[in-house]
Amino acid sequence: MKSEWTPAKGFVVAGLVALLCGALFGVIGSWQHVIPGVVDAIPFVKSRPLHVSLVIAWIFLTAVGGVYHYLPKIVGAPLHSTRLAWLHLAIFIGTGMAIMASYFMGRFGGREYWEFPPVLGIPIAASWLLFIYNFFLTANKHKGPWPAYLWMWATGIVFFLITFAEANLYLFPHFTGNMVRELTVQWKAYGALTGSWNMLVYGTAMVVMERASGNTAIARSKTAFLLFGLGFTNLLFGWAHHIYPVPSALWIRVLAYAISMTEWIILARMIQQWRSTLEEGKQGQGSMTGRFLFASEIWVFLNLGLALLISVPAINLFTHGTHITVAHAMGSTIGINTTILFASVFFISGASITKNLRMGFWLFNGSLLLFWLCLVGAGMVKGYYTVLSDLHFQVIMERIRPFIVGFAISGVGLFVGLSMLVWDGIQALLNLPNSLEDLASHHAIDTELPRSLASVNGRAVQQGSSTTARP
Amino acid sequence: MSFRDEVQVGSKDPSGFGVHRLRFVYFGLIGLFIAQSGLTYTTGTEVPKESALLSEQARRGEALYREFNCTACHQFYGLGGYMGPDLTNVISTEGKGPVYAKAFILHGSGRMPALGVRDEQADDLVAFLEAVAATGTYPVRNMDLTAWGTYREMHTDEE
Repeated sequence: MKSEWTPAKGFVVAGLVALLCGALFGVIGSWQHVIPGVVDAIPFVKSRPLHVSLVIAWIFLTAVGGVYHYLPKIVGAPLHSTRLAWLHLAIFIGTGMAIMASYFMGRFGGREYWEFPPVLGIPIAASWLLFIYNFFLTANKHKGPWPAYLWMWATGIVFFLITFAEANLYLFPHFTGNMVRELTVQWKAYGALTGSWNMLVYGTAMVVMERASGNTAIARSKTAFLLFGLGFTNLLFGWAHHIYPVPSALWIRVLAYAISMTEWIILARMIQQWRSTLEEGKQGQGSMTGRFLFASEIWVFLNLGLALLISVPAINLFTHGTHITVAHAMGSTIGINTTILFASVFFISGASITKNLRMGFWLFNGSLLLFWLCLVGAGMVKGYYTVLSDLHFQVIMERIRPFIVGFAISGVGLFVGLSMLVWDGIQALLNLPNSLEDLASHHAIDTELPRSLASVNGRAVQQGSSTTARP
Repeated sequence: MSFRDEVQVGSKDPSGFGVHRLRFVYFGLIGLFIAQSGLTYTTGTEVPKESALLSEQARRGEALYREFNCTACHQFYGLGGYMGPDLTNVISTEGKGPVYAKAFILHGSGRMPALGVRDEQADDLVAFLEAVAATGTYPVRNMDLTAWGTYREMHTDEE
C-alpha cells in the first residue's frame, strides 16, 4: 500500500533529495581542498554554491514540510489551501532547478554564503508570500493563546521574507558604494536569515516533542516563552558577532557582543539539567525520532559552547576567518538542524529502527564529530599563525593540511551515513517497506513516542536559541 | 481525549505572561530592530576616508568580483571562502600591491584558475581592491586586550 501524497510529504521528500545532492557536492568541495583540480568538471567555484544552496534547500524544504504537516493537526482544521501549498512546492523546486542550472552555466550571484542570480529571488519571495498567507489563515483557526512553537513559526516565516529582502539591498548603489556598509548589511541579513530558519526548525522540534509525549504544557510554559524571547532578541540584535573586525560603528559590535552573551543562560540551563537529560535519553533509544532529538541535544551543547567562546571579541580575534567558524556553521546546520529535521522526518514517516538506520545514525554522528574536531583543530592552528606570525598564507595552509585531510575523509563518512538515513527516510515516506518484518512494524503516519521522551526532546530546542544563527 | 482537545486544555495561558504583554514585548523588539536597521544602513556604516568609497571603476570591479564568484575562495575581513587568502589588504601590504594583484588576476596561480579577464577588467578589479584596502586593516594583530573581553583596536573605529 502506498501512502497518499500531500504537499508536506512532497516538501520532505524533495528536502531529502536536496540533502543527498548537497552532501555530495560538499564531499567534492572538501576534496578539492586536498587535491587541487579534482573533479575538474565542477570546480570549487561551482561546487561550493551547489553544496551551500542544496543544504539550505534541505533545511527549508523539510522545515516547511513539517509546518504543512503539523499545522492542521495543531489547529484541528485542514490547511487553508492545499492547492497553494502545492503551488509553493512547485515554485520552490522549479526555482531550485533554475539556481542549480545557473551555477553549472557559471552564472553566480557572487555573494558569500547563500548566493544565486538575484532575479531568481523573485519567485522564492513570491512562493513565500503564498506560504505566509496559507500559514496565517490556518493558524488563526487555533483557539486560545498560541503556544510558543506557533510564535516561533510565525516569527521565522515573516522574518525570512524580511531578511531575504534585506540580503538583496546590495542591488542599490547606497549599499554597494561603501564596502563597510555592504559587508555589514550582508552579514546582518544572513545572520538574521539563519535565525529565522532556526525558528522554523526549533518550532518543529517542539511540536514533535509535544505530539510524542502528549504534554502540552511545555510549549505554553513561562520558560518556553522566555527562551523564545531570548532567541528572538539574538536573531534581531546578535548578528554583528560575525563582523567584529569590520570597521563599522563601535555600538553595532558592542551591542552584538552583549546580546550574544545572554546565551550563557541557555548553556547554564543545559548543564544544570544534563544528568536528567542523559537519563531520559536512554529511554528514547527505541525510536529514530528519540535518538535524533537526543543527538541534537548534544550538538546544541557543543555548538552553543563554541559559539559563546567565539563571540567573545578577544577570542574571536584568533578564530575569525578560520575553520572554527566553519566548524560552527557546519556543526549547527548538520549537528543541530539536520538532526532535528531527521527526527521530524522519521516522526512523520513513522519509520521503525532498522539495522541500516542504526548504522547510518552512528556513522553520521561519529563522522560529524571527527569532521567538527578537524575543523576546530585547523582553525586553531590557522588563527594562531595568522595573528601571531608573519607566515605566508600558503605556509599556514600546509600546516593545517593534516586537519583538512581528516575533514575530507570524515566528510565521506558523513555522506555515507546521510545516504543510509535518506534512503530509509524516503522509503518510509513513500511507504515502501524494506522487508516483511518492516512491513509488520511499520507505523501509521502519526506515530507516537513514549511519554518519557518529552523532557529529553527539546530541552535545548525549546529554547529557540539563535546560536545557530551564525552562518 | 483527542490530541486537539489536549492542546485546547493546555492553552489557558499557563505561561503567565498574558497575551497583551507578550505582544507588547514582541512588537517593541521589532520597533527597536527597525531603529537599529536604519542606523546600520546610515551612520553606523559610514567610512572615515573618501578613498574607501567605491569609484565608478571600483564599482565595475566589484561587479566582476561577484560575477567570477571570487568570494567562493577569498575573504574580506575574514568573511568569505577558505581556499585562497584574505584580500582586504592585498594592495596595501608590503611586498604585494596593485601589480602583484593584477598578475594573479590575469594569470592565476597554483590553485587559482586564470579567470580569462581582459586587461581593463583586471584594472577594475584592482581599483576595487584598492578601495577595500582603504577601509581598514585585517587581520587585527593588536594584542591589547581589555578586561571586558574586547581588544582596544575594536574601540578605535573613529581613527
